[in-house]
Amino acid sequence: MKDYGHYIETPIPEDAYVVGAGQTLDLTFVVLPGESKDITVRVFLVGEGAQARLRGLYLCPDQEQVRFHLEMHHRAPGCTSDQLFKGIVGGTARAWFDGRIVVAPEAQQTEAYQSNHNILLTEGAKVETKPQLEIYADDVKCSHGATIGRLDEEEQFYMRSRGIPESEARVLQMISFISEVVAGIPDEKEREEVAARAEAAIRGMA
Amino acid sequence: MRTMNEILLKIEGLHARIGDKEILKGIDLEIRKGEVHAVMGPNGAGKSTLSAVLTGKPQYEVTEGSITFQGKDLLAMSPEERSWAGLFLSFQYPIEIPGVSITNFMKTAVNARRKAAGLAELKGAEFLKLLREKMAFVQMKPEFAKREVNVGFSGGEKKRNEIFQMAMLDPTLSILDETDSGLDVDALKIVADGVNALRTPEKASIIITHYQKLLEYVVPDVVHVLKDGRIVATGDRSLVDAIENHGFDQF
Repeated sequence: MKDYGHYIETPIPEDAYVVGAGQTLDLTFVVLPGESKDITVRVFLVGEGAQARLRGLYLCPDQEQVRFHLEMHHRAPGCTSDQLFKGIVGGTARAWFDGRIVVAPEAQQTEAYQSNHNILLTEGAKVETKPQLEIYADDVKCSHGATIGRLDEEEQFYMRSRGIPESEARVLQMISFISEVVAGIPDEKEREEVAARAEAAIRGMA
Repeated sequence: MRTMNEILLKIEGLHARIGDKEILKGIDLEIRKGEVHAVMGPNGAGKSTLSAVLTGKPQYEVTEGSITFQGKDLLAMSPEERSWAGLFLSFQYPIEIPGVSITNFMKTAVNARRKAAGLAELKGAEFLKLLREKMAFVQMKPEFAKREVNVGFSGGEKKRNEIFQMAMLDPTLSILDETDSGLDVDALKIVADGVNALRTPEKASIIITHYQKLLEYVVPDVVHVLKDGRIVATGDRSLVDAIENHGFDQF
């Protein structure tokens, strides 16, 4: 295990989400084309068995600037957190993803997951992603991962070989890419709404 | 039995490479309507490159030669235009597309082609009728219509999905790239039935394989042996037995 030195318990800021024993926090962030946003979310899991599910998607085809700053503090035993963020960035847009998971010494049996995946559509687009794990407990399951890639050429060729034009193939690829985020939204009505808004936005990007 | 129908596909002096590596080193091949051709050869002979070049995979570069399909310059066409013209490739490794259902995928494909042909798009009910009919034909369970394309499919289910798509798109020339690899006998028969059903005087197929299994069910009219980027032998089905008995080293 990596040595982070001594664990220092920072005070809980006023704008933080504080999740107590047995409670679940579920949040979805959607950033659509044309929106530049600076999103900071701090979550404190302070009661045994508290859960947090955070998901987000950002579609930045032009010159948007989108920043995510996420902190997930595990401060009680048996808590679970799951974070999935996906972005498609084109034009000269910029996205920053800064995600930190801190597991306190008393937060045994923690499960904490975070992933951030990005597709770059142009040479001018840029993404910086920095997932961080700080673990001070020893009985935990944690993982984090980040990728920055491009639309898959094999997938695109498969679609085109079926007669799907290149622009439509790109639309389907982008819908496919964000589908995992959309599928995680628990409320059906909200899920369908987000899917429809995202698809409309993607059609404008291809 | 060699018919002398109209030429569907004509490949002349085809050289192709990927990156700096030349893989096809002068292919000549003529396929007439109504014919099934088998292309056999050892690993690395260029079989998959041939199918990739025929269907216009972007990473491959044709450096010499020509391909004419129904009188048109195939190499000047995009992959989607080749599909609209009646070409179909059953992939050796079908691609998984999470979040896109088979229904949505095929509806997009079928209607894109109809649009290119100046036809009206198929409406929901008409499309579903066609979809159900073709799924039944390849013995695919109806619930697959809602499944994400190839996600979580077994090897056999993926290949069956390829044949289903082939039936949906009703190609004039179908190319099956190692469609028989990894299939059990039941799945193999379904693939064979699919190919045999498309065996009409107007259509043709190319079966790329390095096994003879599928060729027991779909009997080829012409067999070619591809080795090191060249066709080194062409014959009738007896060539399949010769390969089975003596391998590719004899060529």
